[in-house]
Amino acid sequence: MSDEFAIELDGLTKRYGDRTAVDALRAAIPPRTVAGVIGPNGAGKTTMMAMLLGLIRPTAGSGRVLGESITRPERYAGRVGALLEGPALWPGLTGAENLRVLARLGRHDERAIPQLLALVGLADRADDRFGRYSLGMKQRLGIAAALLGRPELVVLDEPTNGLDPAGIREMRRLIATIAQEARTVLVSSHILSEIEQVCDWLIVIDGGRALYTGPATAFAGQTAPRVTLAPLHPEDLPALAEVIGRRGLIYERDSDRLSVRLDGGDARAEAAILNRASIDAGIDLADVHIERPTLESAYLDRVRAAA
Amino acid sequence: MIAAFRAEWTRLAQRRLLLPGAIGLLAVAFGGAALVLSAAAPAGRTDAEALRPTIESLTASGGGTEIFRSAAALGGTLVFILFVGLFSVEYSRGTYRTMLLHQPRRVALLSGKLAGLLAFAALVLAALEVAMWTAGRLEASAFDVGTARWTSAGALGSALGDYGMVMLWVTGYAVFGMTVAILVRSVAPALAIAVAWAGPLEHLVNRAWSPAREWFPGLLLEAVGVGGTGGVTATRAAVTAVAYIVVFCVITATVFSRRDIAA
Repeated sequence: MSDEFAIELDGLTKRYGDRTAVDALRAAIPPRTVAGVIGPNGAGKTTMMAMLLGLIRPTAGSGRVLGESITRPERYAGRVGALLEGPALWPGLTGAENLRVLARLGRHDERAIPQLLALVGLADRADDRFGRYSLGMKQRLGIAAALLGRPELVVLDEPTNGLDPAGIREMRRLIATIAQEARTVLVSSHILSEIEQVCDWLIVIDGGRALYTGPATAFAGQTAPRVTLAPLHPEDLPALAEVIGRRGLIYERDSDRLSVRLDGGDARAEAAILNRASIDAGIDLADVHIERPTLESAYLDRVRAAA
Repeated sequence: MIAAFRAEWTRLAQRRLLLPGAIGLLAVAFGGAALVLSAAAPAGRTDAEALRPTIESLTASGGGTEIFRSAAALGGTLVFILFVGLFSVEYSRGTYRTMLLHQPRRVALLSGKLAGLLAFAALVLAALEVAMWTAGRLEASAFDVGTARWTSAGALGSALGDYGMVMLWVTGYAVFGMTVAILVRSVAPALAIAVAWAGPLEHLVNRAWSPAREWFPGLLLEAVGVGGTGGVTATRAAVTAVAYIVVFCVITATVFSRRDIAA
């Protein structure tokens, strides 16, 4: 293992009796990236994060966080902030008091508390009790707690859980703001569209195993784009299929349209060629569009392939 | 440990709790003093096993603070349950997880939390001793208890001794409560165990097997609280209770430092 990664995992495993929650996980995350951990519920995302943070002991394997072994969390805890499994704070204390307790516990600078409350949009609710906060406010206070001490690495486990669309958008903005300060952010979610918008690095987990680790763009790029063609008259579908077949392309029928998978080349050029060929064959097209691979389509392809 | 102590102290010392806390303390002081004074009987009419004080002991120089010690002893089960609740609720809320993210040295976290709670208890008990002495002085005449010797030089020594015994008693219940909470991890079962243990279990065993009073932690703390019983002296009870406190601390520290904190 080297120090060029903020996080490195080598064969990290956690078993609970017969059940394997994390299975020989290998992954590495470069510093100053926003890394997304994606996978279905129960994939092992939270267990992996809890092991990184020293809350759960691995059954086997090893890991390093900011160059330190995960068996010695006290060596890096001051440089890591985390929100794991939702914000767990004291309901009888105010937002500011909760942060003060944690600042004293972690020997962080208490003078940063007002700025942190402002950053998460809770400056005017700082003196309200945590128990009276909405779920979104609790999540934001949890993030403020994670940012105490200006950590180099911020770990956020499902930070958008239970939030409404406005709250999700606000959380996305917050993650982007955190990342701008040259920090490494590790964020997990099962909402792929959320991850897609904020992450530049990906760890895809399913069944406790890493299916992919690397740049987010490369992951989506591994899935071919598609051109979808819809004839104006559905009875032209067989003729359209023949046009596509003549180009040596594979298609799938989806209701009143045909979806053509492109394994290489310029998708725009291929769409134009198919459009021209259809007109030449006397087929009026009502719709031609290119479907770029999304994180979701790439993820589903990868999970299907693994299965 | 100091950081954990400061954090715990920050949580406990809330200014907004000062007034309700003071009112509660005065209510306990006056109510407790009345209860102890009304339960006291002449020496010949109480047996050595009885946990209540005698009129003679209350009239002595240490009578003023014996009220405090005897009243405290009445609340043993409540104090035990309180500490079980204080430690187990952190599991239920997930706040151990939050605290460990900021202070991963687990033994330091737990010992700092315990020290913070005990320091707060020490302050409350000091205030309660003064309040109960004052309440006893005001109420004593109604129960034919003389208070002339409560202001003698010997009374201060008794006050310190009684305070020390009550602090040992509270420390014992705090450590036992912490142990139950850390082992069980969930509020409801931990409280059920605490009630069963401190309530019927030890006392039923004691009725069937009298040496139990020399060995069972709850009964020993009870004996510490009342300054010794016919079956076990205060010194013997205190020494054995301290041994239990040490053993329970080691068990708790070992379990807490090795356990996964998933919740």
